[in-house]
Amino acid sequence: MSAFFELVHLTKNFGGVQAVSDLSFAMEKGELAGLMGPNGAGKTTVFNLITGVYDPDSGQALFKGEDLGPLKTYQVTAKGVARTFQNLRLFQRSTVVENVMTAAQQHIPYGFVEGLTHLGRWRSGERAIRAKSMELLDRVGLADRANQAAGTLPYGHQRRLEIARALALEPELLLLDEPAAGMNAEEVNSLNALIRNIHQDFGLTILVIEHHMDLIMEICKHIICMNFGAKIAEGTPEDIQAHPEVLKAYLGEEETA
Amino acid sequence: MTTLIQQIINGLSLGSVYALIAVGYSLVYSVLLFSNFAHGGFLVIGGYICYGVLRGMGGSIWFAGALSLVGAGVAAVLTERLAYRPIRERTNVTLYLLIASMGMSIVIENIFVIVAGGRFRALPPVIPTAPVDFFGLATTSAFDILSLVTAVVFLGGLQIFLTKTRWGLAIRAAAYDLRTAGLMGVNVNRLISIVFFVAGALAAVGGIFLSVRYTLYPQLGGITTKAFIAAVIGGLGSLPGAVVGSLILGLAEMLTAGFISSQMRDLVVFSLLVITLLVKPSGLFGKSVGEKV
Amino acid sequence: MSGYTEGIITLLCINAIAAMGVSLLTGFTGIFSLGHAAYMALGAYTTAILTIQHGIHWFPAILLGGGVAVIVAYLIGIPTLRLMGDYYSIASIGLGEAIRLILENWQSVTRGARGYPGIDPYTTLPVALGFFLVLALCMFNIINSRFGRACKACRDDYIAASILGFNTARIRIYSLAISAFYCGVAGALLGGFLSFIQPVMFDMMKSTELTSVVVFGGLGSLSGTILGTAVITLVTELFRPISQYRMLIYGAVLVVVMVLRPEGIMGNREFIPWIRSLVGRKKS
Repeated sequence: MSAFFELVHLTKNFGGVQAVSDLSFAMEKGELAGLMGPNGAGKTTVFNLITGVYDPDSGQALFKGEDLGPLKTYQVTAKGVARTFQNLRLFQRSTVVENVMTAAQQHIPYGFVEGLTHLGRWRSGERAIRAKSMELLDRVGLADRANQAAGTLPYGHQRRLEIARALALEPELLLLDEPAAGMNAEEVNSLNALIRNIHQDFGLTILVIEHHMDLIMEICKHIICMNFGAKIAEGTPEDIQAHPEVLKAYLGEEETA
Repeated sequence: MTTLIQQIINGLSLGSVYALIAVGYSLVYSVLLFSNFAHGGFLVIGGYICYGVLRGMGGSIWFAGALSLVGAGVAAVLTERLAYRPIRERTNVTLYLLIASMGMSIVIENIFVIVAGGRFRALPPVIPTAPVDFFGLATTSAFDILSLVTAVVFLGGLQIFLTKTRWGLAIRAAAYDLRTAGLMGVNVNRLISIVFFVAGALAAVGGIFLSVRYTLYPQLGGITTKAFIAAVIGGLGSLPGAVVGSLILGLAEMLTAGFISSQMRDLVVFSLLVITLLVKPSGLFGKSVGEKV
Repeated sequence: MSGYTEGIITLLCINAIAAMGVSLLTGFTGIFSLGHAAYMALGAYTTAILTIQHGIHWFPAILLGGGVAVIVAYLIGIPTLRLMGDYYSIASIGLGEAIRLILENWQSVTRGARGYPGIDPYTTLPVALGFFLVLALCMFNIINSRFGRACKACRDDYIAASILGFNTARIRIYSLAISAFYCGVAGALLGGFLSFIQPVMFDMMKSTELTSVVVFGGLGSLSGTILGTAVITLVTELFRPISQYRMLIYGAVLVVVMVLRPEGIMGNREFIPWIRSLVGRKKS
């Protein structure tokens, strides 16, 4: 039986630099896994390969048995994959709720003519889109800021907004790229709770890229560690913490006494 | 057969002038990643300065030319400082730069319309246009040979500047990644000013030759559209591409004018653009601009 | 109401329709166009030829004029809009030139550079107003719908837009098609207003005027576009004596607005929500 989500020998070069090198791992449906590694290890590139921002040089990204590699980004999303960005890509000029509505509308369609005339399913459609968006905002604690411009939110809230927006796409696989970047300990704790929360309530399969050890070790039972584009370790948090390659990647070579 | 060779030489000559303009435009694009639509304005400024010096002061073509280059270069730097830098410093939305550049283009052109009048002016005949026998194969004009040679000299000079000087190296680094070049200690604002100066100067040379070919008038800058198209065909941001694209365009125009009809010239140019975008949008030597995601 | 005032309002309606088209494309979808007057020309000439030479009633003829503009927009849009970057902008200059050349040289059909006279003056004030109101309502509706949000997503961050499942190329092309329709209809109405059209009416100056109006009013505000059209049309009329400075002023407007206040007059606000917010503040 093939895995729910699987990378098979995924490889990508950028003019001589091996960004991702023969990467393979599998995730079961409903797993919450973590992808870690020092800066430049190639983690975001993996996400970019999966979501069609780059084309892999070789290898496959199999989602429910189908290779996402040759697909364009919007096609990957249509298959049920959503992601957030390391550097945040909110629509700064739009309001908080509009950001989520832009995603929520994908699953609540109505025709162009109905949009043109505001007849037919426009009213009920817009109402449903807004309701669904407010619900998600409520879940991430941003409902009271719904009409604020997204760019004016504090950083931690902007990250939550991106997560809410991704959830509005009703994905089956959620890719979170450094959701805790720039957060303090308290914010990380509350983010942990949120991720666990959505993992359970939506039955999502989640892959998280993270640097913050507190987050990744806390919530992920399955961790893959990368360095220089290749997988150097895979296992439970305990396995990873003890793994010599991982220690070397993060702490450098051990000095022989 | 002689017509063919004649038109080929014509085409190369026209193409080489386009190349001077297209290269300057591509240079700016490669560093700032936006199309400076005001580029035509620098061309016109160069043309009018040259005309003014030749007619008003009776100076030599060398003096007039030098003054044009400097004048257009300075105008380019000023345009950047006044119109683009404030926008650049505030936001990275290139749409605003595009709109401002279009505005500048119109402002420059119309200043000349108002001040110099819309008349067509012929440059005093200091650039030889006498017919020349080309190896017995065809008769071409000295002008065509001269514009080709001048273009080669200037483009060669640019190449030397880019490969053998420190600022040239800085520009090539900036074309690769402006921010990183800045982080490496390059004075980004000064670099951009230098790039604009060079682009303006090259446009001025092109402008002088185009004024001789087509007479001088404020809307002459409109010809830069063809240079833009040449740059796209060659690959936006690539300097060799701009040159090759320009030559192709010049040849296509002249061959069409010679063998089909003069009116079809511009349509052929436009069709080449559409074909390029359909078949190989990044152009012949395209620089692929990947955004960091 | 005097004939002169009626004329001004009619002209205002016509300009506003074209400006709304450009607003959708540039203000809401973020695509800079330098040749939108070409679509006006296509609409104007198509309708003139259909009404005069084929005896078709002006109403369907106007719609067909818009239709021709849409078809050409598709042909240009398909190769250029799937690419990010300035490709459409450059192509749009080329398009403007190409259309002008065709109009001037295809004398048998278009009567060339001297123009096409004898158009039936079907654009009365009620007609212009009627078209304006219906098209304005449609545009407000489009913007406040899924499609409007999709356009804004493509404008603000095309990578994020595609990650949210939007086929950005297709959305941009649709946006261009709609904007071309609006300009085509405006051109057709202009023909019926002046009874005469000439290629030079649809030149770079017209295209620049349209863009200036949208920038001045606010990129991303339809109310701003309409307000901007009103201001610039009225100012142009009032300052007829200095009309040779018009282009200079349009150009300067573009630069000054971008440098000093890129959000234009209205920013991305619309009249009705803005008035509501003012009233709301008074209440609390």
